[in-house]
Amino acid sequence: MPKQGFQPFMESPLHHFKLDAEAQPRRADGRIWCNELPHLGYAVLRGDTAEAGFAQLVEQVTGLALPLKAGAVSQGPQGVLMWTSPDEWLLVSHRQRLADWTAQLDAGFAAQQLFAQTVDSSGGLTLAWLGGTQHITVLRHLGVYDFESIPLGHMVSTVLGKATVQVIRLDGDGVFVLFRRSFADYVWRLLRRAAQPYGFAVCQLEARSDHPLFAQLAAPQPLLVSA
Amino acid sequence: MLVITCPYCQEAREEEEFSYAGEAYIARPAVPEEADDATWGDYVFHRKNPRGWHWEQWQHVAGCRKVFAVKRHTVTYEIAGSWTLADGKALYLKEQA
Amino acid sequence: MSGYRIHRPGERINRQKPVSFQFDNVQYKAFSGDTLASALLANGVRLIGRSFKYGRPRGIVGFGAEEPNALIQLETGAHTVPDLKATQVELYQGLLAGSTTGYPSLDFDLKGLLGKFGRFMPPGFYYKTFMEPVKAWPVYEKYIRKAAGYGHAPVLPDPESYDHLHHHIDVLVVGGGAAGLWAATLAGRAGLKTLLVDEQSEMGGWLLTERRSRIDGLSGMDWVNQRLAELASLPNVSVLPRTTAFALHDLNLVQAVELLQDHLPLTERNAALPRQRLHKIRAHQVILASGAIERPLVFGYNDVPGVMTAAAGHSYLNRYGVAVGREVLVQTQNDAAYEAALDLAQCGVKVMLADARQGGAAAWRQQALKSAGVELLLGHGIAKVLGDKSVSGAQLVKLDGRNNQVVGSGPRLSVDTVLSSGGLTSTVHLFCHNGGRPVWNQQQLSFVCPDEGRDNIACVGAITGRWELSEALGQTHAAVAALLLGHGRGSSGNAPSVASEEVAAPRAIFRLPDGKPEGHGAKAFVDYQNDVAAADIHTAIRENYRSIEHVKRYTALGFGTDQGKLSNINGFAIAAEALGKPIAEVGTTTYRPSYTPVTFGALAGPHVGETFDVRRYTAMHASHDARKAEYEVVGQWLRPWYFPKPGEDLHAAVNRECLATRNSVGVMDASTLGKIDVKGPDAREFLNRIYSNAWSKLDPGKCRYGLMLDENGMVMDDGVTACLADDHFHMTTTTGGAARVYSWLERWHQTEWPELKVRFTTTTDHWATVAVVGPNSRQVLQKLCTDIDFDKDAFKFMDGRSGTVAGLPARVFRISFSGELAYEINVDANYGRYMWEEVMKAGAAFNITPYGTETMHVLRAEKGFIIVGQDTDGSMSPNDLAMSWAVGMKKPFSFLGKRSLLRSHTAGEGRKQLVGLLPLDPKVVLAEGAQILSNTDDTVPAAMQGHVTSSYHSAFLGRSIAMAVLKDGSKREGDTVFVWAHGKSVPAQVVSSVFVDKEGVRQHA
Ligand SMILES: [Zn+2]
Repeated sequence: MPKQGFQPFMESPLHHFKLDAEAQPRRADGRIWCNELPHLGYAVLRGDTAEAGFAQLVEQVTGLALPLKAGAVSQGPQGVLMWTSPDEWLLVSHRQRLADWTAQLDAGFAAQQLFAQTVDSSGGLTLAWLGGTQHITVLRHLGVYDFESIPLGHMVSTVLGKATVQVIRLDGDGVFVLFRRSFADYVWRLLRRAAQPYGFAVCQLEARSDHPLFAQLAAPQPLLVSA
Repeated sequence: MLVITCPYCQEAREEEEFSYAGEAYIARPAVPEEADDATWGDYVFHRKNPRGWHWEQWQHVAGCRKVFAVKRHTVTYEIAGSWTLADGKALYLKEQA
Repeated sequence: MSGYRIHRPGERINRQKPVSFQFDNVQYKAFSGDTLASALLANGVRLIGRSFKYGRPRGIVGFGAEEPNALIQLETGAHTVPDLKATQVELYQGLLAGSTTGYPSLDFDLKGLLGKFGRFMPPGFYYKTFMEPVKAWPVYEKYIRKAAGYGHAPVLPDPESYDHLHHHIDVLVVGGGAAGLWAATLAGRAGLKTLLVDEQSEMGGWLLTERRSRIDGLSGMDWVNQRLAELASLPNVSVLPRTTAFALHDLNLVQAVELLQDHLPLTERNAALPRQRLHKIRAHQVILASGAIERPLVFGYNDVPGVMTAAAGHSYLNRYGVAVGREVLVQTQNDAAYEAALDLAQCGVKVMLADARQGGAAAWRQQALKSAGVELLLGHGIAKVLGDKSVSGAQLVKLDGRNNQVVGSGPRLSVDTVLSSGGLTSTVHLFCHNGGRPVWNQQQLSFVCPDEGRDNIACVGAITGRWELSEALGQTHAAVAALLLGHGRGSSGNAPSVASEEVAAPRAIFRLPDGKPEGHGAKAFVDYQNDVAAADIHTAIRENYRSIEHVKRYTALGFGTDQGKLSNINGFAIAAEALGKPIAEVGTTTYRPSYTPVTFGALAGPHVGETFDVRRYTAMHASHDARKAEYEVVGQWLRPWYFPKPGEDLHAAVNRECLATRNSVGVMDASTLGKIDVKGPDAREFLNRIYSNAWSKLDPGKCRYGLMLDENGMVMDDGVTACLADDHFHMTTTTGGAARVYSWLERWHQTEWPELKVRFTTTTDHWATVAVVGPNSRQVLQKLCTDIDFDKDAFKFMDGRSGTVAGLPARVFRISFSGELAYEINVDANYGRYMWEEVMKAGAAFNITPYGTETMHVLRAEKGFIIVGQDTDGSMSPNDLAMSWAVGMKKPFSFLGKRSLLRSHTAGEGRKQLVGLLPLDPKVVLAEGAQILSNTDDTVPAAMQGHVTSSYHSAFLGRSIAMAVLKDGSKREGDTVFVWAHGKSVPAQVVSSVFVDKEGVRQHA
């Protein structure tokens, strides 16, 4: 909790684009609709699937099954857990919940003497949602990966322009693009540029309680005070 | 541009996602201090650079960050396969034998 | 002035849509659907350019990508495009074009005078003539280039945009002629993801010109339209017109450029859409159906405007409704050109046809021509064309039936146009781009692609030498059906039915003889764009250039924007004859991308302007903007360089920032430093192996400076690493080395020591870092944080603490890159800007001064702290840097680089070593990079003793200081050396590189 007298505020990596100011309700036109999901919680999860108890503990704490297949994404109303490497996953959830999870996980890892850890990356990552009928085409303008082939419920880590990103495809409606804070300005400009032929619009994102990622926008941010 | 299969992501990906990580299975002398200058120099500086099949390491930097082994033909660019370092080593040693 | 319009059934122009355009400042009228070339010809314009070397008048020769002469400058200002081929420019209302050659003017060209003395300009003329004196070459070059002409590149920024599109498909078909359309149809029907590209504005290929053939009982274009309708109905098929596949790379990566808006008037282009799109296509299977291009014959003065290929004359007539002349001589050695003669004659053009063959074409063709009133001259060839800026006639000779020799004189014909056909040349370029070789086909007289193609590349239609439509479609069907079967797709049905016709064999003749030894008769051009005549090839071979690759380079044959599409085979054949070898043995030159020129815009695509390269920003960037920072790019980061107050320049600002920091407190954004979370039971052991110094005894809550060496023992990175827990470390790296070090750790762990239980996670972006630096920094921190004891003995230099700073969880490290009392505050980067502003507020009472990279550099140089990559260059060992204190030679494991430190070379004498330099004149700031000499009177070449690596004015010391690497520098303290730069040598004294606070009192305060 903030100390008396201090009023901390957060700024997401895309804060300077003032996206909320231009956001409008999404319409079913041919445009590309896009916005940032700011201030979510992210943690890198490291562990060894061969160690008894690791996967169970993760599922017990997060309610998300540890995905073992390359690129697979576990989803639940409280967040997602993505395979990023054979001994590495990314947890995304609401900031507060993520902090609770990682505390429980690290305590559990220590108690069971597992070679496992979480690394808070909430300050270093952000997500943008990219939708519209041509959203896959926009990715095809920027990256060599065969984005059409990503199965629903999967993510792929690849290159857009000159930046490494993760593309998460949960449904046919759009994709979530995950990228690092310091690359955010570049990635956003690149997406905006590539979307230009189809029309580019910033959409209001609704906190949908049934959605593994949009749901995480719902609760107020505990430390967020408007700047 | 090569197309390389990452044995961890289990998918063929464009070269752009990888970075070359040098010749594979170079043995670091177990006790460097006991290696003479020539042996050590050989380890640090000398590479096979063959015309033909070459065992090399690639790192999936834009993906899983894992380093793995690739057997690639340096003239035709044909790739015979890619393996985890451990799996590739068994094959490599068999070939060398 | 002889071209004119003729109504043709099925012509591709729209007479209901007239357009006007301008060429060389003259207004003309034409129709939508015209190319600039057809429009100029319809308006009787023949003189389009001057030749490269001799300034000879030149006109349009071809009708597509093969055109060598008609290079034009399109539009003006920012939209100008140089050297487009008029034959490929689609006309639009208001188009502005001009010639690119002709100096001082198109009508009067100075080089035209040179042309009169043509035999004094042999191949290699420029090399031979303008070699000496070397200094004058730039002068020669300027005028030669100006006189040679060719367009000028735009000097204004390109107002249009370009993009890229990546494809992953089953089948790519290159070429939308009959063969390509059929191949795409079969692949599409089989359900394969198929893309068909063709360079022209509409599909159809040669069927757009040739109107007599019937396919499955339909006219050619009806069949084309049926195919297009079917392809459009298949969701798995895409068809891209105006799209040139210009390169084929390994593993079937094909690059193609699509002209999305080039055919539209500038005012009608959609600013939201790109002008051109570069397609990068990965296809499991490539089907090359790129057809063939008709080549001309080589004969005297075959470059006079009005001499064209027969295919061009034919196409202008049937596609664009333009008759290229009123009295036309067709010169051929094959049957196909009879078709052009017939169509022209049926339009009322007076046509004569000379055939190099004694027997002429198949009887039915000869009959058809005679019925149409065409005069046939069998066994004849053109000796030379008459006319200067336009054809006025032709002198023929009688040819021997077997040898390519003249046996008698022929008639002198009065004609205004000459069409010639030397047979077809298969368009094999893409097949050869990544190593494929074409094969010589002596029956069809062309290098062709082999029927079997090669791995995952099929070749269909005319590219395999199948000139006849029935054969081309038959072979296409068989090849594609086999391919589909290989993909497990069933029957492909029957091939389209086309009646086969009797054809007489072509004659193997390329250069029509004129009865004179080569070089003595009228110039006969092989390569128009480079002014290479048949005689030049003979000269090259006489001068002993034997390989065709050398002949090409000596004569310039096949260079240029047409890439020898018309000239290559003629050139190879003439070289073969001169060498007395078969053409197959002479072979071809190497085909390289691009097939046709590609704009830089298309290649760059989205990687221009604000998305040219990655720009990385820290979380505090808006704060730096608000304080009017000047920036510099470090790696990909944009970092504050200095924070000028009104009226301050770099030096004034840096002097102020340095003094404020040393005397009170400064603040810097250190977020760009690489940060890696290292954790695991073996983390400590791993650090022992990867760093040169020891990590076994670093307690939690302590930090240590670490030096990373490569296996060669040279410094590759450095940084401070903090111990958070026994098995947990917070590593920092240099800003530029972050990614490299992260990769380095992973590689050593995965390849060499996988048994160590340790993991690395990058946290560079997660932490925002504010460095608070200076004697008052403690008081600033105390205002922000109450749960950390900042007492000098409780929180010592090189300690780390976790606590609450400005209400936020933070990691605070007492480390210093300035030699001052200093703290680095790390918080979740979402709070980075908040933290910066809180520090500024807390520091206001001490006049806290933000500073950038320049002040950071000065402060660290005053302390002699190195910057890896500035004071080191990959050849500096710790000993060279006087940093042996950071090498733990007694560590049990032989850390990276240790053994190399013992190599005789690394441990030997004469190495460059880091020193400090004090210029004897304290006002002189030495030039960074300047060489160091031992004596002031050293003459060239002087023995270089080393160089200056860092050099600044130190406001704190009131004098200049420098760091340098100097041969055996560690033993030379007190020496005077001479630093040479800008023509002057400046004396400086060798000193310790620690200039300020040698005892380290300040940082321990
Ligand atoms: Zn991978």
